[in-house]
Amino acid sequence: MVGEPILVMLVEDNVDHAELVIRTLEEHRIANKVRHFLDGQSALDYLFHREEYTDTGNNPRPHVILLDLRLPRVDGIDVLKAIKESDDLKAIPVVVLTTSEAEKDVARAYYNHANSYLVKPVGFDEFKKLMDDLGFYWLGWNTNPDIKE
Amino acid sequence: MKRFLTLPENKNDELNNTAQLIHYSALCLIALSLSFIITVPFVAPNLVWRSIRIGMFVIPTSIGILALVRYNKIWIAGILLTTFLWLTITVGGLTANGVSTPIVIGYLIVILIGSLIPKQRIHFLFTALCLVSLAFLAYAESNKLLPNPIAYSPIERAIVYAFFIIVAAILQSISTENAQNLLKQAHHSEARYRSLLENIPTTTYINSTDANAITEYVSPQIEKLLGYPRDDFLKDPLLWTKIIHPDDAPKVLDESRRTSETQETFEMEYRIIAQDKSVVWVRDEAILVRNDQGKPLYWLGVWTDITSRKQAENEQADLISVMTKRNIQLQTAADVSRAASSILDINILLPNVVELIRNHFDYYYVGIFLVSDDREWALLSAATSEMGRRMIESAYRLKVEESSMIGWCIRHGEARIALDVGEDAVRFVNPHLPLTRSEIALPLIARGTVIGAMTIQSDLPAAFSRVDITALQTMADQVANTIENARLFTERANLIEELEAQNAELERFTYTVSHDLRSPLVTMRGFLGYLRHDAASGDMTRFDGDLERIAKAVDKMQNLLNELLELSRIGRIANPSEDVSFGDIIKEVKETLAGIIEAGRIKIEEKGEFPIVYVDRLRLVEVMQNLVDNAIKFMGDQPQPIIRIGTNGLDAENNPVFYVQDNGIGIEQQYHERIFGLFNRLDPHVAGTGIGLALVKRIIEIHGGRIWVESDLGKGTTFFFTLAGAYNK
Repeated sequence: MVGEPILVMLVEDNVDHAELVIRTLEEHRIANKVRHFLDGQSALDYLFHREEYTDTGNNPRPHVILLDLRLPRVDGIDVLKAIKESDDLKAIPVVVLTTSEAEKDVARAYYNHANSYLVKPVGFDEFKKLMDDLGFYWLGWNTNPDIKE
Repeated sequence: MKRFLTLPENKNDELNNTAQLIHYSALCLIALSLSFIITVPFVAPNLVWRSIRIGMFVIPTSIGILALVRYNKIWIAGILLTTFLWLTITVGGLTANGVSTPIVIGYLIVILIGSLIPKQRIHFLFTALCLVSLAFLAYAESNKLLPNPIAYSPIERAIVYAFFIIVAAILQSISTENAQNLLKQAHHSEARYRSLLENIPTTTYINSTDANAITEYVSPQIEKLLGYPRDDFLKDPLLWTKIIHPDDAPKVLDESRRTSETQETFEMEYRIIAQDKSVVWVRDEAILVRNDQGKPLYWLGVWTDITSRKQAENEQADLISVMTKRNIQLQTAADVSRAASSILDINILLPNVVELIRNHFDYYYVGIFLVSDDREWALLSAATSEMGRRMIESAYRLKVEESSMIGWCIRHGEARIALDVGEDAVRFVNPHLPLTRSEIALPLIARGTVIGAMTIQSDLPAAFSRVDITALQTMADQVANTIENARLFTERANLIEELEAQNAELERFTYTVSHDLRSPLVTMRGFLGYLRHDAASGDMTRFDGDLERIAKAVDKMQNLLNELLELSRIGRIANPSEDVSFGDIIKEVKETLAGIIEAGRIKIEEKGEFPIVYVDRLRLVEVMQNLVDNAIKFMGDQPQPIIRIGTNGLDAENNPVFYVQDNGIGIEQQYHERIFGLFNRLDPHVAGTGIGLALVKRIIEIHGGRIWVESDLGKGTTFFFTLAGAYNK
């Protein structure tokens, strides 16, 4: 794991939110690289090496996935299901990052084996703090599985 | 001796009389002979031997005759007696002076006695014998062939005459007595039979044998039986045929004609209208009486009053039919309530109820009408048979007014019967139900309000009575309550459904508030924080960018709030519907969207003619605007963008189907349902709140219509929708 660039996959339909996440993660140098997808379909295409992502060398598996729930085309929950049903992908920690506080969403996420559920805080400092902690926890403290292709 | 003198009893009166006559004649002969023998020595001593000779000849013969009579050999005795007398007289004639007065009288007596013998031939034989004997005597006398005539003394002559006189007297007395006896007997037996006939509790009559069967005799009991004087029947011999109950008359007269032809016994029970117009049930039995030769003489008949028996029978039958009917009614009521408790859907319940009632009572037709919401019409909602089905299909309805049984019944809230008896015919004839002979209309009253009426029709006249009304009304009340219950249940189910839908929407709404409204807030607060950093670091490019993001998020928030407000208004705030030309709506939409239509170089084609629609105009403009706007948004990089607007036939409810078709990017099959959901957006790159199609759907549904989409990726999209009750108004 040492020396290996850390890759974060961000699935987020709101470009502003994505910018906030990416900017915060970069500032703290948590991730070497963030790959952003606007909808569920393209995220799955990437993970399963379909369409334009067939080249496994250029499209490595991420170390952690930040997933929004309400996504165009394929919904966040369906992306989560697809990951957790795949023997190859289910080891990748999936952190749900959404604006929804709805109990139903929380329950559905955990029921589908989400590894964590985080609500985007309204407020700049809180947002930064969450991103800090998220980075430290999942990419620092947490021992991630060795994801092989 | 006494026994010897007793006469045998014969059943035949005539034979008895003959026996008696022969008997007395023989006794008379014995008595005369004895008296002759006794008196002769005194009056004519020279004749003593002669008298003894006569006696010895006459007495044994007479005793023989007596014996024959005693042993019932009557006609042999008669022949013997007559022959004996003839012989005596002829011998007397031959030995005396030929044809003389005593001889002639003697032969007359022979003929008289001979006539007693029941055999006519023998009677003739004796008459002929007497004539021949007389002729012979005359011949013998005139040719002097007779021996010297004996000169009878006057005493002898007197004795012979006396014998003849006595015999004649006896004969006369016996025959007179016999005749009188016979007459008396005849009178006696006629009186007996008459008293029997006229005192038995039945009426006897004699009718002629011709096909008309005219009355020749009728016993006086007829007056008691029918009230008509007995003479009326004799004066008008066909009166009996005229007073038979009209319902029975044809079959009685037929049977009368039939039996008069076949000569079989007539036997019938029928009704007669008595003089006081009461109905008398009689049993009529008549047999054909014939003479000895078998020739029909007359019909002898008996009328027995069986009114009380018939009444009892009828009462029993009535009781049984009432009980049976009540039983059926109870059964039906039970079935109806069972159906009511198990079927809560009124559209299934009502057909079940009418079928149940029709089947149980074997009625011709049963129908249920329900009052329309404005209470002006009664709509046929369920009915039996093919005719009923057709009437329902043609939306058969009756005005709630006195022009129909149903209308009358609903207006007055009372049952009404129409019976096709006599002049009181069914008043409201329905051409669909030509066989109806009697009809009952029952109001359906639930919670004090007439909600409809039930019609029950029979092809029999007078099929309903006041008693039936009570029972059927009880059932109708139950049906009414059931309908009301089902209505309440349906209403409740609809309410629950509506509430659930509203709940789901409310949930989506709160979800939106917690997610979609929060989203721009996260953006605003986040970039506001960076704005400070940008200012501090002097990075003005990023500052402008971040400011732009904040401004957009604020706009978005505003849009969201506006559209949410709009959505919540639909259904709550409705503009009155009006007749609008659909073409005008399209024109308005094109004007509003002229800017983006121009910018996208989009061609809009209108296909076919548009109907007038009865809608909330502003809302419908909103629908079309959203659909056209959507089509433009998802045109992709189509080089020849075209939007076609038109109508495409009619749907199952005969409403025109409108469509808006584009040749844009299309929508994958799997999203066809989701696109109408609130805040569901397919393409993050295209501007929008995710409310538009939800709004469209809502408006269409409020107008009683339906919206659906046909599309596939890269093949363009067509939205179809209908507007109920908006067709050529």
